[in-house]
Amino acid sequence: MTALRLLALVVLTLLPGIARAENLVTALSSDRVAITSNFTGSQVTIFGTVERDAQTISRNGDYHLVVTLSGPPRTIVARRKDRTAGIWLNRESEKLRSVPSFLSISTTAPMPDVASVGVRARLGLGFDMLPINDPPGPLPPIRTDFDGAFIRLMQQQKLFALKEGGVEFLSPQLFRSQVDLPANVPVGWYTATVYLFSGGVLLSRTSEDFNIRKTGFEQFVTDAAHQQPVAYGFATVLIACLTGWLAGVLFRRD
Amino acid sequence: MELYLPIAELPMNVFILIGMGAAIGFLSGMFGVGGGFLLTPLLIFSGISPAVAVASVSSQIVANSASGMLAYIRKKTVDFKLGSFLLVSGIAGSGLGVLVYSLLLKVGQLDLVIALCYVGFLGTIGALMLVESTRALIAQKRGTQLPVKRPGQHGWMQKLPLRVRFERSRLYISVFPVIGLGVMIGFLGALLGIGGGFIMVPALIYLLRVPTTIVIGTTLMQTLGTMAFTTLMQASANQTVDVILGLCLMVGGVVGAQFGARVGQSLRGETLRLLLGLLVLAVGVRFAVDLIVTPTEIYSLSGTGGAS
Repeated sequence: MTALRLLALVVLTLLPGIARAENLVTALSSDRVAITSNFTGSQVTIFGTVERDAQTISRNGDYHLVVTLSGPPRTIVARRKDRTAGIWLNRESEKLRSVPSFLSISTTAPMPDVASVGVRARLGLGFDMLPINDPPGPLPPIRTDFDGAFIRLMQQQKLFALKEGGVEFLSPQLFRSQVDLPANVPVGWYTATVYLFSGGVLLSRTSEDFNIRKTGFEQFVTDAAHQQPVAYGFATVLIACLTGWLAGVLFRRD
Repeated sequence: MELYLPIAELPMNVFILIGMGAAIGFLSGMFGVGGGFLLTPLLIFSGISPAVAVASVSSQIVANSASGMLAYIRKKTVDFKLGSFLLVSGIAGSGLGVLVYSLLLKVGQLDLVIALCYVGFLGTIGALMLVESTRALIAQKRGTQLPVKRPGQHGWMQKLPLRVRFERSRLYISVFPVIGLGVMIGFLGALLGIGGGFIMVPALIYLLRVPTTIVIGTTLMQTLGTMAFTTLMQASANQTVDVILGLCLMVGGVVGAQFGARVGQSLRGETLRLLLGLLVLAVGVRFAVDLIVTPTEIYSLSGTGGAS
């Protein structure tokens, strides 16, 4: 079976006149971002090249790239306040299931120049096309007020960001995109995806995973709080009592 | 110096945190209250999620009341029997409070309940203190004496059964108002991240008629116990206690409290109560305004924090 496949592959590559699409090769500046006690945000850079050879068909349009960096999915509840009996209180809400907790989108050009609405809708590419509670389809997703508020608030918190022109070509084939990770970046596994477009058609895409995690003391405290909650609680109370006692002794006036 | 808070999952400036703790500690030392009712809103305003703020402030209150109580034990002005009654009932109330807290967090009405409680309790107590201290000040200016209510005149409370003698406080009262008060303070403490000293002190003076000298030490004993229990409960049930955040607040708080206590001792009782009344009322009004004025942002998200 494997031999047969290999044979087919060899035959295909050797067949003359069959155009091959461009190939994307990408790499991340680091596959792990460590959160230490002096963490105030970080950056991650995605590099890549558009590989092509003699058999690659020539294109009349330029290449366009979209680089997305997506954080661990979370279930988020969006709520709306309404005035009831004179006071403002949370009334209606919508549960947004497994939406990205972080999403950075960088492009070489404004989104409409990269690909049409139909193409982006199918890929769920762009904040206006981000699938919420429904899989991506041929039409742009129908947005509720809550979905809109979610995207807006996430942008306010700098957890969602769109950088048109955030991907730059260093040479006709080599490109680079730098993504800012804010101080409040959620921890977990991230996926960096690079989409290559030409003339509004998706030619290729690749994905790379990387991990944002607390290390050292920060990790130790978090592990203790989650795995040994009772001991952690006792330790906190003990520290508090000691601090109080120490202050009482130091500042004793008689 | 920015420090990443492991449970709050964001960096904060250590000096700002210690400064905040010190400022609140100063006020709490001056007025003899825990200051949680000021610190918790302040932390939420700085961007820390309400869940982490409420839980971490409880650990700071433990430190503050421990240092305060030490001084009162030396002066022998703690009624351990009354304190134990309040403490045991306070722990029961605190357990209930943590449960209600988790429930409200799920339903999405935690903010509303916290705001309503702040408005209700702070507004009422602030206004009462303001009226009482103003009357005392006016009476002093005129040189007249306010009619002193003799201890032991509390009508219906005297008729309740199961009376207990509290020798240190020279009281012989029913356990029901004592337990009721303890449960209520414990409940509010867990729910709002406050020690409840500002409710307990006037309640002990005006309702139970405990001698003023005994009140603060006994309140501190109850606060220490209930808040230690609350910290434990929040840590094990919600895992929202940030020990690093707590420690920064504690260090500032205990130092600030020492200086506050010195200033407090140089001020007259009525002036002190007037100032505290104004402060409490101001926080209450601030929460009331938030509830009534049309908010700039009517949408909110929950579940974005790392703790959820």
